Amino acid sequence: MSAGIDLYAFSHQERDILTPSHEFFADLLRRAQNADGGWGYRPGLPSATEPTAWAVLALQVLEESSGKTLTSASNWLQQAQMRRGAWPTSSGKEPGCWVTALACLAFVSLKIPSQDAVNQGTKWLCETWPAEGNLLWRLRHRQHKEDSAVHQDHSLQGWGWTPNTASWVEPTAYALILLQNITPGTRPSQATRRIELGEKMLYDRACPGGGWNAGNPLVYGVPGVPRISPTVWALLALRNHQDHAATLEGVEWLHQRCQNLRSPASLALAHLCLRVYGRTAEAIELKLGAFYSNNQFLQSVPAIAWASLALNDLPCWLGSPSQSRDAI
Amino acid sequence: MSYSNTRLVPPFNRSPSAVAIRSVPNYEADVEAILWETLQELRPPVRDKSVLLKPNFVEPDMEGMINTHPVVIRAAREAFLRLGAKSVVVAEGPGHERDTEGILEQLRMRDYLGPLDRAFVDLNTDEVSQVSTRTHASRLKSLCLPRAVLAADFVVSMPKMKTHHWVGVTLALKNMFGIVPGSCYGWPKNVLHWAGISKSILDINSTVRPDFAIVDGIVGMEGNGPIQGKPKASGVLVAGDDPVAVDATCARLMGLVPERIDYLKRAALLLGNMPEGRIEQLGETIANTRKPFEMLPTFQQIRA
Repeated sequence: MSAGIDLYAFSHQERDILTPSHEFFADLLRRAQNADGGWGYRPGLPSATEPTAWAVLALQVLEESSGKTLTSASNWLQQAQMRRGAWPTSSGKEPGCWVTALACLAFVSLKIPSQDAVNQGTKWLCETWPAEGNLLWRLRHRQHKEDSAVHQDHSLQGWGWTPNTASWVEPTAYALILLQNITPGTRPSQATRRIELGEKMLYDRACPGGGWNAGNPLVYGVPGVPRISPTVWALLALRNHQDHAATLEGVEWLHQRCQNLRSPASLALAHLCLRVYGRTAEAIELKLGAFYSNNQFLQSVPAIAWASLALNDLPCWLGSPSQSRDAI
Repeated sequence: MSYSNTRLVPPFNRSPSAVAIRSVPNYEADVEAILWETLQELRPPVRDKSVLLKPNFVEPDMEGMINTHPVVIRAAREAFLRLGAKSVVVAEGPGHERDTEGILEQLRMRDYLGPLDRAFVDLNTDEVSQVSTRTHASRLKSLCLPRAVLAADFVVSMPKMKTHHWVGVTLALKNMFGIVPGSCYGWPKNVLHWAGISKSILDINSTVRPDFAIVDGIVGMEGNGPIQGKPKASGVLVAGDDPVAVDATCARLMGLVPERIDYLKRAALLLGNMPEGRIEQLGETIANTRKPFEMLPTFQQIRA
């Protein structure tokens, strides 16, 4: 499909698909909601924390038309929270750091958040340290430092995807965005330190030349290739350090890459991020429409939610961040 | 379901395995005809079965050396359908890149398989079940595994022939890391690293042992693999119904000693044949097709 296509040759429904609006994607999300109030990663799959959180974050911007949907989603999230405050990954048994941050963020974005759920979730996050912090690991690492394949500052701890594993860029960024959205007075006591360490860790993991990959910028001395998703989330977590050299490089890398993206998830996320940084991003409706026609976004609920977010007003949780300015 | 039928057979009680090596100079060759001939010879029992092809997709790759080539995947799909498979689906859960559709589009998979929402399952985000591992080499006692894999009658591991900076080589057995879903363990699946990669490879493959393996060695990767190495044109496809025998054969083709590769040594105890004398070689010989791969200094000891 080219940008010069004659849209009036198509029916209303076809035109919606060719140049979808945020409402088109929001409607897809509403229709994909499970009877229990949550969302699966694809329509028809059992509800899981991450897709439910993304759906809430996307639909919250359209709250007036999503009231009932959001209430049942909020109920699902609340009942899914584990006793210790974390949310489970889709296994239903194991806690996940990234899904806990996203579930809390979903609650924070709602006008009437469940303060208790958020407090417990953020407390669990702040008390959950990655495994590279433990004594045994540090001793072993110090002993083999010369042989180490990766050269990064392991004292800068962020968050792992799951407890007892290493820090990675995306789960760290999600946790930082959450903590930045919580009023300092109500944050857990360790939050300020975790924010400072997390931000420093993200800068330590930036790829040479700009952008981020999953979290290994150099392996055996070879620079890693940056990727869209970790770059977007790192930049969004560092949006109150817009003058930092690595931030500027990351934005520049993302802006250049944005032109040639071939998938809805990357395009929507890159577009959202560049708008937060005030960079003019081209209209993406036509491209998203073409992507939707190609593969239906692989039916991915998170990708649909990101498309909806990208086409809507910026959500409050990506607005002016807080209080941790100048931490770096 | 294939995972409940996994065979853990000690070496003294195992029949020999057949592995075919076929020369394929490049991806413009008639890969479909070559693979069809190979599978006719090996006769995998797929009639009326649901087949799941598990390629190796890691991240977008402009030089075609990281991911299993779509030509090989399409050829495998067509061959298994011709052999009477009830259905053939392509499924993978990339380990580094969350944007699976981005990888598929960069590989132009839609041109080869048609609309991907029907032809492909993202194992990173499929429905999962908790399954106890059949060996306990690592500290993992159970794994979340995707429904698409557990429900398949016949699982085919389709890796790229590559070196690997943590375990030496990545072939049919290591490729099964990709069935472990990111939605449970993240991107990368760091839990497996912390549990020990070699040990996790055994636990995953003992729980879901691939029924067949087809290795894309037409262009592989040497040096700092599996993503930062250099392309290596080995010009071979390697196939067989024993993933250990297939991996051991590939290691020999790469100029390595499979007995010195930790996870292969472990896998040979329970999952398949490693000694050359226990592998019936079909097609080309190892001697005629061997092209030694450059290895990182940390893996010089596994070279022949």
